Amino acid sequence: MIELHRVSKVYSVGPVKVPALREVSFRIGKGEFVVLTGASGAGKTTLLRLLYRDDLPSEGDVEVLGYGLVQMRRSQVAAFRRSIGVVFQDAKLLPVRTVYENVAFVLRVLGTPRRDITARAFDALRAVGLSARAQAYPAQLSQGEAQRAALARAIVRRPPLLLADEPTGNLDEAMAGEIVDVLKDIGAGGTTIVLATHQARLAVALRRRTLTLEGGRIVKDEG
Amino acid sequence: MLGFLVGEALRDLRRAGRVAVSAVVLITLSLAALGGFWLVSSNLGHAVAKWRDRVRIVVYLKREPPGGDVAALLERVRVMPGVAGVVFIGKADALRALKQVLGKDAGVVDQLPVNPLPASLEVTPSAAAVTPEGARELLARLAVLPEADDVAGSADWVERFSHWQRLLTTIGLGVGFVLAAASILTVTTATTLILHARRHETEIMRLVGASEWTIRLPVLLQGMMQGLAGAILALGALVVTHSVVAPRLEPLVSLTLGLSQLVFFTPVGVVALLGAGTLLGGLGGWLARAAREP
Repeated sequence: MIELHRVSKVYSVGPVKVPALREVSFRIGKGEFVVLTGASGAGKTTLLRLLYRDDLPSEGDVEVLGYGLVQMRRSQVAAFRRSIGVVFQDAKLLPVRTVYENVAFVLRVLGTPRRDITARAFDALRAVGLSARAQAYPAQLSQGEAQRAALARAIVRRPPLLLADEPTGNLDEAMAGEIVDVLKDIGAGGTTIVLATHQARLAVALRRRTLTLEGGRIVKDEG
Repeated sequence: MLGFLVGEALRDLRRAGRVAVSAVVLITLSLAALGGFWLVSSNLGHAVAKWRDRVRIVVYLKREPPGGDVAALLERVRVMPGVAGVVFIGKADALRALKQVLGKDAGVVDQLPVNPLPASLEVTPSAAAVTPEGARELLARLAVLPEADDVAGSADWVERFSHWQRLLTTIGLGVGFVLAAASILTVTTATTLILHARRHETEIMRLVGASEWTIRLPVLLQGMMQGLAGAILALGALVVTHSVVAPRLEPLVSLTLGLSQLVFFTPVGVVALLGAGTLLGGLGGWLARAAREP
């Protein structure tokens, strides 16, 4: 499903080279729920960006869902991303569209037949417990609800891989618990999940395989 | 899918607000100017074509040839290069024509002791000869006829008129081009603002794997919609102007230009104007898109 081999990433800030990842290697199998943890700046977001090919490594190979991302041509990126769901710390909901429209938007841009859109969007909203708030606008949602709406948008295409970058970063403990429960339910359906979080307690509470990043290196792979 | 893309384009237009309205107004102005010059030019073109058909060269004969020689003379002239047709007008025919022109004063002619009018040949030049050069060559050929006393006629004035028509068309194209360039820039500005307002949608679209066409098409469509709206407004303005001005001007142009009516665009012309507007808007949208691509 996911395989990284000696992946390094160095950012150039003028003449200064800033290493973000150093020789990272790991494998994640189909259906696994993996937590990627580490302090801010440890390289979690950089690693996730490489996984959905928002960026390329400076060295090493990245393979996701059978695609070699380093060799991938730009024209192939869209097709690859259709198999991946991504959620971010800031939910990135479209403010002028309702929750339902935000979720349906993804299906519409991918050309899903109109008759299927409503049913699939409401399936996704039900899966995150938000079907009652379908007509609300993002500004009317709590942060937890907004994050659940983002999750519904990410899973509405039923992708085999879900990448979540600090989805609980802005939430209090109760709300974070709700999101984690939703993620567990999604994982139970067979979706491979990579959850990046700086909240060590959350990683421990999840009791899943945890990769710990420190200074751009994987220092622990346990569980 | 197309419905979605059009819906997105309309949503973008609403977002662009006043800038989109300015772009539509500029496109309207440029196409109205271009269309106005085009209409004036095409009506003048009709007048020139009509006048070209009326150009005649008259060969005045030294004496009226006997009946048997007329046919041979006509045949000699007919085969000359640049001649489309030729008619013999005898002295008596010329006098009858003069009486018709004089109308109620025709009695004056009867006072004349002899018919002073010469016999003549009325030569219709072919299309190629209705130019200053062609007419001069034809005049020279006709002048050397042994029967010819004098040759009168020229196409210079038609050519001068035609020159003014071409000048007007060029000015129209120039003004239209400058305004069109301004419209493209305004659509580009409106689209750049739209792209900024649309950045979240674009980000999400790229993230979920939308094709480049799905991302680009709404932007291109909103530009084309601005262009089409401008073209429809310009066409409307021209229709109204034509329907108001034409009936008032027609008596004058009938008298001066010989045109019985002022024509409007043909269906092809209407489609071309609408197409030009759509193209201008689309180009503006495309330029903004291209400028923003990483």
